[in-house]
Amino acid sequence: MPLPRILALPPLLRPPTTTSALRNHILPSHASRPFHITPRPLANLPPRRPLFESEFTETFLRGSGPGGQKINKTSCAVQLKHLPTGIVVKCQETRSRAQNRKLARRLLQDRIEEMELGESARTVVKRRRESERKRSRGKKARRKYRKLAEGEKGEDEEGVEEGGGSDGEALGEATRGDGASKVG
Amino acid sequence: MPRLPTSLLRRAYALDPYLPALLGPCRDLCAAQNELRWLREHVDGVAEKRRARGGTLARAALLRELVGKRARGMPLQYILGTEWFGEVEIRCRKGVLIPRQDTAASISHLVRFLRDAPNLPSELRVLDLCTGTGCIPLLFAHDFYDASSRPDLRILGVDVSEKALELAAHNLERTRKAQASVAKGNISFLQADILLNPFADQTEGPPSLKTALNLKRMPQFWDILISNPPYISPKEYWKTTTRSVRGFEPKLALVPPPDAAGTDTEQGDAFYRPLLTIAQDVEAKIVLLEIADLDQALRVGRRVREMDIYDGIEIWCDQPDAHPNTAAEDPASDSEFPIFGTGNARTVLCHRGQGTQWLQRTPSPHAPTSTPADTTEDCAHISHDGLEPSFDKTLLHAGDGRPFHERTLKSRKEPVDWEHWTGKPANAAAPWYTKEPRLGRR
Ligand SMILES: C[S@@+](CC[C@H](N)C(=O)[O-])C[C@H]1O[C@@H](n2cnc3c(N)ncnc32)[C@H](O)[C@@H]1O
Repeated sequence: MPLPRILALPPLLRPPTTTSALRNHILPSHASRPFHITPRPLANLPPRRPLFESEFTETFLRGSGPGGQKINKTSCAVQLKHLPTGIVVKCQETRSRAQNRKLARRLLQDRIEEMELGESARTVVKRRRESERKRSRGKKARRKYRKLAEGEKGEDEEGVEEGGGSDGEALGEATRGDGASKVG
Repeated sequence: MPRLPTSLLRRAYALDPYLPALLGPCRDLCAAQNELRWLREHVDGVAEKRRARGGTLARAALLRELVGKRARGMPLQYILGTEWFGEVEIRCRKGVLIPRQDTAASISHLVRFLRDAPNLPSELRVLDLCTGTGCIPLLFAHDFYDASSRPDLRILGVDVSEKALELAAHNLERTRKAQASVAKGNISFLQADILLNPFADQTEGPPSLKTALNLKRMPQFWDILISNPPYISPKEYWKTTTRSVRGFEPKLALVPPPDAAGTDTEQGDAFYRPLLTIAQDVEAKIVLLEIADLDQALRVGRRVREMDIYDGIEIWCDQPDAHPNTAAEDPASDSEFPIFGTGNARTVLCHRGQGTQWLQRTPSPHAPTSTPADTTEDCAHISHDGLEPSFDKTLLHAGDGRPFHERTLKSRKEPVDWEHWTGKPANAAAPWYTKEPRLGRR
């Protein structure tokens, strides 16, 4: 599913600079899919998808009304909108706007990857590995873990979506890749 | 202020019992949740430090106390003790204005140009008038030295308030330790009252800028002048500032002193004329002045245009580097000055001579026809029979690293006529901002 979506992008909107980069990333890993994933060693995550400033618009969410000295705002949410895919991410994790801008870019990279690569996206791979590590513990522990995971499912999903800025690494359940397609 | 709906308060309470109290100052749930998270992190940090020193801390009690302070309107930055200004963390204290993100955006934008600028002098000199926490010099140095092999940087921050200067010195020391880039710059702070007539007899209180520069053997010439002065008129102060600003931040930093003869608007604008006079006096090639809104930007821009010494005047918005999304949103289309970025108008930028080059701009059609060095000769409105500024030439020579002859030549050609600017005899003891000068009537 992710590949057709990429191909369906309006060609004019897709920045030419990323096309080759995308292909290089997508095609090799895509070949080994879909339901057949050999986990790579932990240190060897797929490289981040390059994200060019021309691919998205950035807004600082601030109410209308006066700024400057007249108001002393504490939150400085940064919102990015990826033009080719329409993915929107928002980050207000820290008090530093500069930091939020960086985090928002990373979050956007992750979301785009999840959409484009599905099962082989960094975040999904990370999440899966995390759970595989857990699963490899003894039978007893596994049963216990499953129980927990069942109970927490609802919360997990919310966490993935709302956890602006965090990689969501510790979240999510092994076999579910569909957290990836959730976009703001 | 509209009352918060009970349903919202209930929802907030269900999420966390501390949240309803924070909804007062924050107004929306998301902001309240953020602030609560930051307050908790702060309390954890304090507890951690306390433990390292062998003590203990009742976290719940401290959190409760801090949430209480915030609920009564105290700015979060005073409670936590810091604010981020670009990538520099600035310490904040009661009695000194909290730096604003919008200011940081303008400074970073200016420095971005300068980092790519051709033909910078071997020492770039930046004067920041009304420096407050010292945030502008520190961010300037941080951003400027982010890349390697820049020219030397000399930045002087000036303020009238002792409290501000103390905090600025503290911030300088703190940032130098944390950030090697800032340590490279020659940054210092100086007390002066920039509204004071430099030629008036003065016996007490902070000296005028020129006197202070002389006393400290500082250079009289500066390449760039930046200022975020008090710019809110008394009426706007009551009408448009938030409760937390009015109740907790110093009025000295926000509202210019009263002027018996002037209107409300004139009082709000009171710093710009002295600032522009100083800019001319120190031969600034780039001047960046923060303003409250588009109306004030236009008033300042017109005043600058009347001076007829700058090659370009621009207005920058809150996000000066952003491109307006649609033509309809773009206020620049029919403005008398080019407007850059999105958001409210935030700064007026003027440049001339080398400054125009550094910014890689082309002189605008309104620009004076002559080069800045001999502009004033052509300016009918500058009367030459006023008082010559009495630069101490020996100090000038000692303190100024650049060729002496070039400097004296220029300063002779650009006499600053204080009487003309201020409408006051140069020796008058009264503050020279008290009367509107007759500028622009030819
Ligand atoms: C709006 S604050 C700006 C502080 C800082 N530059 C910033 O951007 O956060 C204005 C500052 O001007 C100072 N100030 C007020 N009157 C002054 C005067 N006559 N001369 C010099 N500084 C003055 C205040 O103490 C205050 O720190």
